[in-house]
Amino acid sequence: MAETVQTRWVQLSEDPIDIAAAYCFLQGSAVGGISMFVGTTREWTDGQQTLSLTYESYESMAQKEMHKLLDLAEDQWPIQQACLLHRLGKVPIKEASVLVGVATAHRADAFGACRFLIDTLKIQVPIWKQEERSDGRHWIQGSKLPENPTP
Amino acid sequence: MLSFNIQLYSVLKSKLHASSIELKTHQGITVKEFLDLACEQYPVMAPYRSVMRLAVNHEYAQDSRALQDGDETAIITPVSGG
Repeated sequence: MAETVQTRWVQLSEDPIDIAAAYCFLQGSAVGGISMFVGTTREWTDGQQTLSLTYESYESMAQKEMHKLLDLAEDQWPIQQACLLHRLGKVPIKEASVLVGVATAHRADAFGACRFLIDTLKIQVPIWKQEERSDGRHWIQGSKLPENPTP
Repeated sequence: MLSFNIQLYSVLKSKLHASSIELKTHQGITVKEFLDLACEQYPVMAPYRSVMRLAVNHEYAQDSRALQDGDETAIITPVSGG
């Protein structure tokens, strides 16, 4: 019987993102390129200081949406392994809040799929960030509405 | 009459000081009518009406979808993960 290989890792967690573990997950003998995007918490935005960020999620839906994004990516690119990891709760400045990783045979596919996954995650997946600044806490609202499903 | 428990997140949860609200309505109400009614009954949400999506059973729902008893609902404002 063939060995079952895990090809996806989707995670929402309050624990710090383990970048080395993601890299290990993405490695494989058919893989010629690994593209990873790590989103980190920024202290300065247009001269304004952020003290910390807190992420909230509608978790059951977010998990489903993250799997849908991977379905779409797998339809477009020949992906060997992929991971979507998002941190929740309070995240100190400079730490990783999201990690998107894609492993493919050739680099163009890894870059393409990775870009698609992070860009689409930021529109579709129900996760919100709240910035704590010196003048109080502010929920950040995305610039685009999520796409409705096609009828 | 049907009673729905609508989950709230992010800015709406803060504005209403609640993680969910109740809405009593009739069987077969559409998603669009449901959101309009929610904003009518909870006017503090009204400024966000144009940027609301309703999630039904963990999926973004079309405006024309009719809600059924037992559907899990949540109001989603533009997300900001990443």
